[in-house]
Amino acid sequence: MAGLLNTSLTGMLAFQKALDITGHNIANANTPGYSRQVANFTARPGTGSGNGYIGAGTQIASIERMYDAMQTEQLRTSTTGYSRLNTLSNLSGRVDILLADADTGLNSSLQSYFNSMQDLANDPSSIPTRQALLGEADGLASRFQALDGRLSELEAEVNNRIELSVNDINRLASSIADVNQKIALTNGSGAQPNDLLDERDSLVMQLSAQVSVATTLQDDGTMNVFIGSGQSLVLGADARQLGVAGSEFDRTRMTVTYLGAAGNTPIDTSSTGGNLGGLLEYRSRILDPTRQSLGQTAIAFAASINEQHSVGMDLRGNLGGDLFSVSPPTILTSSNNLGSGTAAASISDLGELTGADYVLDFDGSNYSLSRADTGANIALSGSGTALDPLVGDGISIVVGGVPAAGDQMLIRSAHDAAGSIRSIVTDPQSIALAAPTRSSASLGNTGNANVSAAIITDPADPGLLTSSLIEFTSPTTYSINGAGTFTFTDGAPIVVNGSSFTINGAPAVGDRFTVEANFGASGDNANGLLMADIQSVGVLDGGAISINENYGRLVSNVGSTTHQIQSNLDAQGVVLQNAEDAVLSTSAVNLDEEAANLIRFQQAYQAVAQVVSVASTLFDSLLNATRR
Amino acid sequence: MRVSTQGAYLSGLTMMQRLQTALDFTQRQISSGRRVLTPSDDPIAASRALEIRESIGRLEQFDRNSNIATNRLAQEESSLNSVNNVLQRVRELALQANNGSQSDETRKLIAVEIREQLDQLVQLANQKDGNGSYLFSGNLEDTLPVTRAGSSFVYNGDQGQRYIQIGEGRQVPDGDPGSAVFFTNRQGNGTFVAVPSPVNTGSGVLGAGSLVDPAVWDQGRYSVRFLDQDNYQVRNSASVLVASGAFEPGDTIAFQGIEISIDGQPEGGDQFNFAASGLQSVFESVDQIATALEQNVGDDVARAELNNQVNFGLLNVDQAIGNILDVRTQIGSRLSAIEEQVDSNGSFALSYQETLASIEDLDYAEALSRLSLEATTLEAAQQSFIRTQSLSLFNYL
Repeated sequence: MAGLLNTSLTGMLAFQKALDITGHNIANANTPGYSRQVANFTARPGTGSGNGYIGAGTQIASIERMYDAMQTEQLRTSTTGYSRLNTLSNLSGRVDILLADADTGLNSSLQSYFNSMQDLANDPSSIPTRQALLGEADGLASRFQALDGRLSELEAEVNNRIELSVNDINRLASSIADVNQKIALTNGSGAQPNDLLDERDSLVMQLSAQVSVATTLQDDGTMNVFIGSGQSLVLGADARQLGVAGSEFDRTRMTVTYLGAAGNTPIDTSSTGGNLGGLLEYRSRILDPTRQSLGQTAIAFAASINEQHSVGMDLRGNLGGDLFSVSPPTILTSSNNLGSGTAAASISDLGELTGADYVLDFDGSNYSLSRADTGANIALSGSGTALDPLVGDGISIVVGGVPAAGDQMLIRSAHDAAGSIRSIVTDPQSIALAAPTRSSASLGNTGNANVSAAIITDPADPGLLTSSLIEFTSPTTYSINGAGTFTFTDGAPIVVNGSSFTINGAPAVGDRFTVEANFGASGDNANGLLMADIQSVGVLDGGAISINENYGRLVSNVGSTTHQIQSNLDAQGVVLQNAEDAVLSTSAVNLDEEAANLIRFQQAYQAVAQVVSVASTLFDSLLNATRR
Repeated sequence: MRVSTQGAYLSGLTMMQRLQTALDFTQRQISSGRRVLTPSDDPIAASRALEIRESIGRLEQFDRNSNIATNRLAQEESSLNSVNNVLQRVRELALQANNGSQSDETRKLIAVEIREQLDQLVQLANQKDGNGSYLFSGNLEDTLPVTRAGSSFVYNGDQGQRYIQIGEGRQVPDGDPGSAVFFTNRQGNGTFVAVPSPVNTGSGVLGAGSLVDPAVWDQGRYSVRFLDQDNYQVRNSASVLVASGAFEPGDTIAFQGIEISIDGQPEGGDQFNFAASGLQSVFESVDQIATALEQNVGDDVARAELNNQVNFGLLNVDQAIGNILDVRTQIGSRLSAIEEQVDSNGSFALSYQETLASIEDLDYAEALSRLSLEATTLEAAQQSFIRTQSLSLFNYL
């Protein structure tokens, strides 16, 4: 009977524990990362009697944590992938909308500028129309600046987010190390510290959202955590730290460093993954090319307008100056440089301009140039002096100072251009819409020849604005300013003092034609028409791509990258969902199941209690039997 | 598969969120009427739409430009119409004055009216447009085109022409410089001029003359000299004899590919000089007629001189009228070119609009049926979520 009491006691204790566990499960039904626990009952072995073994009740051999390491591993990997795409998608969507929106994009401003240019070509002497063009020029320049400013804000935001992400990683690493330590202390007790394991898994899961994670379990129950391309972040109870530092060339551009045994080293960011990887990838894949392409558009616009404007004549009779200013390529020297080398770069060929960043290397005797993004080598010509600059990809570079071997400089050909573009003419009379020279036939001519409008072949010719007189000394020969004898060919260009024109028809002896400075021609729009035409003329990519097309290309590039990221995100979302379902299916609590368990263990407890009652009855029967 | 409470809840929630995202997208499409909301929805369509918008913007600008060019050409045309009327009146007056029945006084009265017409002609040439720019000074819009010093008229403008862009790669001039309209008229019959020597003593009056054989006419200087009333010789500038013949009043003298009739009776020693036509302004032509009419006519010699001068003036005025007609014809062809271009721009713009609509615009029928399908699905998901979430064994404990 004592055996029966003891046996039922073990049952009562076991079922109490089981009810506790069920209660714990029910209480944690909504705890993220909680793995449900299951009591494993085993029969207590009996003591031998003459006719065999009689069991001694039940016991809970272990409290099992329902958990599948493979599933958790899969969830981690898909969390890393999803989180990277999620960050990319959120941020790139903002650039996407920024560029194409009619209120923030460039198209409407470009269109208004060129429309205004056409209006002005229609009415070149009108000061209000000239003023309107200056207004449009200001508007366009500020649109460029606003777009670039927004991109630069996004860059600053990326810097902040990188710092936040690194802080998160460091915090999680310390927490994981702490939990590791607690787990190690329980080592040897034989029982698993289920809730600590859950806590650690949950921390590692959070870490995997920031950066890609690899883990190995040690014999003492601790977990080593490696990130990125294999840097150890947590070793047992020891956590390492990541840092944030300005890049070698640009102190404002944050990069991630690893504070290892060997000191502070930049981390290989190519396999970072997660939110942090998404941030770095967004910067290099979307932000950088967008700013570069926008800058390229700004340079192409300013340079072609300025070039055309400089061969025109304004209302005051002066040749046109620059209408827009734009900063030259930016040069950034590496903080690792030992020498004092300097460089100055300028755009020498718009048609070859890519807008990319380049690294200029000095090997001790020679310079070499390579793309900063792809590392592709760019052929350089020239020696780097002012007279013979280094030329590659449309950029000419003049070097100076005393560089040391291994020194590097970063050349940003267009990165900062869009933010620097300004409309620099404020005087409406200074817009050069007229051709600088005009041709005329003398009204006393007797021949039948007429003269074409003059085209400028050399705006730098010192005699450009000097009058020249072509006089026919015979129907087939002429003199220029009374000197020389030149053979006349009907319709062949005659070039004098940088102006080219043709005389067509049959001139008579004594016929005179004049080319002179186009002073006072307030109604002339010849240069204005050419400036308006820049809208449809190819200037980039060897003259194949117009300014508008280049911007369209940027919009479609960002659009298709964003589109691709979004469809990848959708796919990764499904992968993540499946992995999550699998983990939840194994580990999460089902309340119906727990309710059933509750009933089961309650009934079992009641049954065992009934056994105690039987034992008591038996004992009473025995007492009653022996009372007589 | 085992379903956890949390899993069931999460998957229901995720599904509803997904449906809501889709519903929201459709709703935004419908409220904006656009199929492509951001470039990433359809990157190719987005960049194509940018290009098409640019093209449409340019076409709209070309239409504005065409309007401006049309207005300016119409204004020029109406000015030139007035110029033509003035010249026709001058012509009538000159013909009237050339009549032998006129006295010195009546001729002088006619000369007064011709001078009035001349003033009007100068005024027309110096006309300004609505913006205060001179119509006929070329590109020197602020320069008075025609100034007068006595009987000489000076053109102060330039020979530039302003072009207006009316289509892709298509430009038309929106006017003509005064030099081409008023100052470059060929003298005489347009080929050569014949001028009697001022010391002639006969009453020979030259006809209009004409070019018979352009291949022979060498634009040189020639003189017809009468040896006596019946014989003449033609010599070139080097005094080489070119032709000679007998003459009777009204005969036509032909040499070097040209011919001219001479009425009246030239005397021996009278000379008529021939040269290629130079350029003369219409103002000088009209002024010369007035000046000729202001002379007193005492005898037949003076009358012949008057007739010769008025005839020459009439030839010049005819050249001017012809020139104005040429310019007006050019204006007409420019106007019709603009009209054609506007039509073609319009049809291009229409096809661009259609393409843009097919790229960007929403198919409402499709979108609305999609919306109702999505809404129904979401509703069903919500109802089933409520149903399944309310199922719990705890309800029965």
